[in-house]
Amino acid sequence: MSGPRRDAIPPLRVERALRLLPDLEALTPLRALLVATSRADAGAQWASSGPYLTLGKRGVDAAQLRRRLDDVLEQITEHLSLLYHAYIDALEALTSGDPAPAVAALLRAGRAEQAPGRLSQARVWYEVALKLADELQDRRPEIEILGALGRLARTQGHFQQGARYFQRCLALAEAEFDQGGVAEACAGLGSLAAAQAQWGGARSWYKRGLTAAQVGRDLGRIGHLHHRLASVDRHDGDPTSALDHLREARQSFETTQDGESLARVLSAQGDVESEQGNADGAVLSYREGLAWARRSSAPAVECAILLRLAEFYLKSDRFHEAEEELRRAEQTAIAHTLSRRLVQAYTMMGRLRGKQKDETGFVFFEQAIELCRVTERVPSVEGRVYREYGTFRSLMGSPEEARAYYEKARAIFESLGETGELEGVEAELERIAG
Amino acid sequence: MTNPPMTKAPAVAVVPATIHLLGVGLDGGLMHSIRPWVAELRAQIEFVPDLPHAVRKLAAGHWDVVLTVLGDHPDEDLHWWANALRGRTGAPRLIAFAHRPSMGLALRAEQLGTHDLLALPVHREELLRSLRRVGRGTSEVAVPLEAEVEGDVGRYALVGQSPAMLEVYKLIARVAPSTATVLIQGESGTGKEVVARAIHANGPKATGPFVALNCAAIPENLLESELFGHEKGAFSGAVTRKIGRFELARAGTLFLDEIADMTLPLQAKILRAVQEREIERVGGGDPIPIDVRLIAASNRELRDAIQQGRFREDLYYRLAVVVVRLPRLAERGADMSLLAAYFARQFGGQYGKSITGFSDRALELLSAHRWVGNVRELRNVIEQAVIVATGDTVLVEHLPDEIRGQEGILAGTMAGELATLAEAEARHIARVLAHTGGQIGAAATILGIHRNTLTRKIREYGL
Repeated sequence: MSGPRRDAIPPLRVERALRLLPDLEALTPLRALLVATSRADAGAQWASSGPYLTLGKRGVDAAQLRRRLDDVLEQITEHLSLLYHAYIDALEALTSGDPAPAVAALLRAGRAEQAPGRLSQARVWYEVALKLADELQDRRPEIEILGALGRLARTQGHFQQGARYFQRCLALAEAEFDQGGVAEACAGLGSLAAAQAQWGGARSWYKRGLTAAQVGRDLGRIGHLHHRLASVDRHDGDPTSALDHLREARQSFETTQDGESLARVLSAQGDVESEQGNADGAVLSYREGLAWARRSSAPAVECAILLRLAEFYLKSDRFHEAEEELRRAEQTAIAHTLSRRLVQAYTMMGRLRGKQKDETGFVFFEQAIELCRVTERVPSVEGRVYREYGTFRSLMGSPEEARAYYEKARAIFESLGETGELEGVEAELERIAG
Repeated sequence: MTNPPMTKAPAVAVVPATIHLLGVGLDGGLMHSIRPWVAELRAQIEFVPDLPHAVRKLAAGHWDVVLTVLGDHPDEDLHWWANALRGRTGAPRLIAFAHRPSMGLALRAEQLGTHDLLALPVHREELLRSLRRVGRGTSEVAVPLEAEVEGDVGRYALVGQSPAMLEVYKLIARVAPSTATVLIQGESGTGKEVVARAIHANGPKATGPFVALNCAAIPENLLESELFGHEKGAFSGAVTRKIGRFELARAGTLFLDEIADMTLPLQAKILRAVQEREIERVGGGDPIPIDVRLIAASNRELRDAIQQGRFREDLYYRLAVVVVRLPRLAERGADMSLLAAYFARQFGGQYGKSITGFSDRALELLSAHRWVGNVRELRNVIEQAVIVATGDTVLVEHLPDEIRGQEGILAGTMAGELATLAEAEARHIARVLAHTGGQIGAAATILGIHRNTLTRKIREYGL
């Protein structure tokens, strides 16, 4: 009979490694590298803690980190170089009395910041570009910048600010007969209305945007607006119309060969089919969506679909399959530094444990909250984690703790003006009070 | 605990004479080459251009094999396919083609249970040999589940009758009636919590609660409050007062699993709790008396941890009043089939299926598996198999790829075409390398050959 295996010293864990890393903006890429290079201990797979493993419990390999450091430093240099060159390009353009290329250069810098998720920095570049664009005769760059600022504000949960940008964008685009700009602004305003549970308003904006996109024969925008109209139909309980819109969206994206958008549409189709009770159809749509995401090398979309698939299994009480998909989503999110998706994956794992009446599931919510503090600093995301944590505590028979977490969520959603989420949290608070 | 009848029932599954192949993303030249080759085997092949089309095709019919070319990220592609094919109708096997496959890729393929990984350009003989191994056995014969024994039933039943487990039962019987602290040691998945529950259930505190805490699962900064509780506002996340596990286990048993994962300062607090029989909540000042039986467990050798300065020696001696060492599943002989039957019944009930047996080939594959995750891994495999099983017998196609990956090796002992010595050696080397995570030195030790010989063979077999 043998005893336990004789182990070398176990690797340092991410939870401890992150505590060693000062919370400095300059170290953000190092933090991302630390997460992406972390490895699950092979021996932990079958340990009793295996089902509860989170990012914090993964091992850090300092040697691996050092090996990958040059690549990261090179990326940082490239990024800074792009920003510096953009600025110098803008200066040169202004010196020669031509502000249009200067605006384009500043816009380029903003996009370069936005791509790796540096949203606040992107906003600063866009704002500088916007001021300069005001001097141009051609208003299209201004329309473009206002659209970018609106989308950024939407992502950051600043809805009122986002609405102001989109309204300005719309007014300008209409004045310039820029159908693309009109469609973009309407789509943005619709998404803001949807986020605030104003579904009628969202539908009107999307329809108006669709008309503009159709006039401009912009297949990409047509596809996106059909996709969004389907989301409103879903909310209104009209799956037939939702599927019609999704079919239209699919046709548009098949024509434009946009695999990433096709993947998103198939994911939405899976959601509708799931709601209709068509389990086989739903799984097939999600799987096909995953295949398109894979073909298009779109890990963020792949991760999002894995989470939708997990949600489907979770709702069907197919816990084993839900857990498998969630673990896949976790791996994808870690490998590609998709911190928001990682937060979602852990929140869902916590929900899964709650359904299984497993109290240790709280570790997933704690990890999600930690990630919200360390990497994904978007309050609305944190608010959703608190809401789910409250539900978990409620299921575990701890109404006081549940109330405390719901109240934290309420405070966040109130400050953001996220009406839809706020209504949900208030309903939960009423439920546990009753 | 009894021995089961091993009577064989009639064949339950006949592998179709025609193998159905789906070629995914193969270029025109490859399709042109492959088509006549597979026709020699009377196999039928269809081609689809890409992954999305493959998903629809796979859902629409029964496929035995998927042939695909791995792209620029072959490792990720293999993972993708392993996930995509899991649980599909007919459980199709994957034959992947790669440009100059590396040893790392071969190891990954082995770990994921890929049927075969072939280098491009594809050679006729290699592909045909690989295809012949698919579904080589002509039939699977149902073997009824081992008989259930009264006393085995229940969520925390100890199942097994091997000599190694009998020693464990005797020790449990001796230690349970006391309130002595017990340390349970054993590899992951050997059943430490089940043993702890058995000790509790047969001990003087059986009427009290059994409270378990997995020290490795809890974030380091929260473990203390989980153990000892906290007062409201003691730290930023302390939204309400919380009663810790020591208090929750009052008049019962507290089971601390994976105790080696605790920090030294926390070990000191545990030691104090064990010695003084009192604790303090985090943020609280008053000592709270405790009345618990403590059972600790570890999958690591605590003596090694003491030598490495990661575990307190004084705490070890406090915990290790009685030490129960659990055997690996590989050391438990016929217990594997008893446990497989037990889990098949358990999950059959859970998923609303009546599983009455395993096929002979499925049992052979289960017996040949290494079970690094011990009983927990077996439980997981049986649960997956029960989920995908469509009839009352668990067949080879219901087993996960990691288990089915050994089919090629075992096939030599079954009906059909025998593997060459070189084939068997190459696959065995790949398996051992997968086991050692690619470490050539460790693999050479297991194989009993010099590392230079192994390096030469790796080159020779293109691993």
